[in-house]
Amino acid sequence: MRVAICEDSTLFREGLARLLAEAGFEVVAAVDDADKLLARIGADPPDVAILDIRLPPTHTDEGLRAALTLRRRHPAVGVLVLSQYVRVSYAVELLDGRVEGIGYLLKDRVSDLVEFAAAIRRVGAGGSALDPVVVEQLVSRHRQPDDPLIQLTARERDVLRLMAEGRTNLAIAERLAIAERTVEKHGTSIFGKLGLEAGPHDHRRVLAVLRYLNA
Amino acid sequence: MRRPGISIAVLASLAVAVWLLVIGLPETRRDPSWGVGAILGASFLFAGVVAWRLHPRNRVGLLMVAIGIAWIPQQLSASSEVPPRLVWLALCGLWAALACHLFLAFPTGRLGGRASRIVVGVAYAEAVIFPVAVMLTRTKPAEPLRSIMEFVDDSSWQVLLVTGAAVLGLAMTRWREGSVAQRRAVTPVVAASMIATVAFVAERLVISWGPEDLERPIVYVTFVAFITIPLAYLGSLIRHRIDRARVADLVVTLRDRKQPDGLERALATTLHDPTLRVGYWMADQARYVDAEGHPVTLPPKEHGRVTTRVDQGRSRLAVLLHDEALLEQPLLVEAACAAAALALENERLTADLRARLRQLAASRARMLQWGEAERRKIERDLHDGVQQRLLSVAMTLGLAEATTDPATAGALMGEAKAAVLASLDDLRAVSHGIHPPVLTERGLPGAVKELAAVTPVAVECVIDMVEPLPPAVESAAYYIVNESLANVTKHARAGRAWVRLTRGDGRLMVEVGDDGCGGADPARGSGLEGLIHRAEANGGRLHIDSQEGRGTVLRVMLPCE
Repeated sequence: MRVAICEDSTLFREGLARLLAEAGFEVVAAVDDADKLLARIGADPPDVAILDIRLPPTHTDEGLRAALTLRRRHPAVGVLVLSQYVRVSYAVELLDGRVEGIGYLLKDRVSDLVEFAAAIRRVGAGGSALDPVVVEQLVSRHRQPDDPLIQLTARERDVLRLMAEGRTNLAIAERLAIAERTVEKHGTSIFGKLGLEAGPHDHRRVLAVLRYLNA
Repeated sequence: MRRPGISIAVLASLAVAVWLLVIGLPETRRDPSWGVGAILGASFLFAGVVAWRLHPRNRVGLLMVAIGIAWIPQQLSASSEVPPRLVWLALCGLWAALACHLFLAFPTGRLGGRASRIVVGVAYAEAVIFPVAVMLTRTKPAEPLRSIMEFVDDSSWQVLLVTGAAVLGLAMTRWREGSVAQRRAVTPVVAASMIATVAFVAERLVISWGPEDLERPIVYVTFVAFITIPLAYLGSLIRHRIDRARVADLVVTLRDRKQPDGLERALATTLHDPTLRVGYWMADQARYVDAEGHPVTLPPKEHGRVTTRVDQGRSRLAVLLHDEALLEQPLLVEAACAAAALALENERLTADLRARLRQLAASRARMLQWGEAERRKIERDLHDGVQQRLLSVAMTLGLAEATTDPATAGALMGEAKAAVLASLDDLRAVSHGIHPPVLTERGLPGAVKELAAVTPVAVECVIDMVEPLPPAVESAAYYIVNESLANVTKHARAGRAWVRLTRGDGRLMVEVGDDGCGGADPARGSGLEGLIHRAEANGGRLHIDSQEGRGTVLRVMLPCE
């Protein structure tokens, strides 16, 4: 799988390139600002573009805006946004209307190479990867006693979180050490309780779950 | 200003002329006390007409006119040409009762308290009963009427003595209870009344018991004492005029004034109220401050203290806190305020400045203290958190390096990685405390949207502003929204909330509202107090609208050019 990296910190950029090469990715570009990334991708689109949120020249949200531009201009390129902080509102912006090929993770996640590589592959294959911290913030908003989320069992809530992160049923089953069939059953139950229209097998289920959580 | 001078003079002079010509002159040739008596009646009539015209709603004028008229039967009863009739006699004591009424009703025209009403009632009863008793005794009626009338006649001087003492006591009490300014206004008339009361009682006692050669002098003394009452009244009216002339002095004093409270003292002197205080209006904070900039609280409607607002055109300038006696002289107060308007406006601006400086100094001290505390906290967080963790990482890695067993080394590496990730979490928390990263990345609108996104209550954001904002204003607004939304989550039990950011007129308006339970009170929660301090530290102002059960709307105006 071909990836492009955009990160202004040399240390992190070089480290990440080494890490990804180690994990079997082909790093086609490693640049330090968003304009260079957009130019390189225009010339030779990779499968996934990995970019930081804070980039030159202002070190504010250049990366985030570049990610949105990329999604508009190159729908086929997966976009993985990395940051020192994760924000619910950024996630909402990035996922706006379309959850195919998008990822938003804390930079910390690079420390678990297996997980991280899996997330990149998911994004590259048109799936999604949302940081557990964002998911947790979204879930924790639903604290009102009359919220249907409160009626989910603890296990169902675990499954919901992992679904929101963009994982497949198989990945969820492995993570929770249960059978894939059980995950499917939990999914049906969750969607029933929350009154979601998309079915548990629907590829748009991530969107449905996130919309529900963000409502 | 009204100019009642001419008509009053005409009316009063007419009354006096009638009095002197018709009632006074014919007998005076034979008895000089007749003339003095005529002057007494005429002077009451004159002062009464003047007072009545100046203060038509005050009964003092009416009472004095009544005394002047009621004096007629008294005067006639002593005449040898007028035959004594029951009606004349029955009425000739009335003037004394009216005088008693006047003494106790002065200066308001109303009798204050039950004791005064009883005493005046007794005086009126005496005025009717005693002359009748005297007259009936002269007609030598049959028993038992005769003994009753004789008893009444005999006991009249005791009743009179008691009544006189009561009048003196009540008048004295009333005078002493009055404020300095009130006393100043009433002292001449009250003193004359008291002297007249003593003279009147003495005269009656002398007539009943004393030696005959004392009778004529004491009658003169009494007459003169009574004449001083209307004269004292007219004198105090003239003094009011003089007071108004002092307004001119005020203007001169104001020009030379140097102390900050000079204006207050100049007004206190001009208005003869040493207790007078001036509160200057601070429009943007909707409160009054004194010359030094300290807040002034208006007294509740308590006894004796009154507030008078001073405006210039449509704008509020100041408020005078003064003695209620000044209400008797509205024209003087008005004239003094008009003369001092420019100085008041000047002083208001200065007081406003002083108040702001005071506030600024206080909030600066608070901010310095707060900044110091924050720095200490950050230092502690770094020391106790990140530094300790990184130290342990170094030790764990050292152990891994030293070990020969690959399995143990792998476990130690995992441990070190976990510690590094944890220290990253710590660092994130610390830097969030220093400055919220989202504010750096997205500015205020993005940061507010993020706050709204993580608030459990549904929050609608209306953002109508142009960036960029000064960083300090941005931070202040962020923390205000953050703390307000935290309050909504914690206390409001709200179904929905909203955040509105509007920029205009060199100000950023931050509004956070909810449809919850309301009843938020800055005096109770320290959270709201913190918000007020944050607003003030940025030169802003906080307004809370939070009625019980009707939601809370919090608005902060932050100046930003």
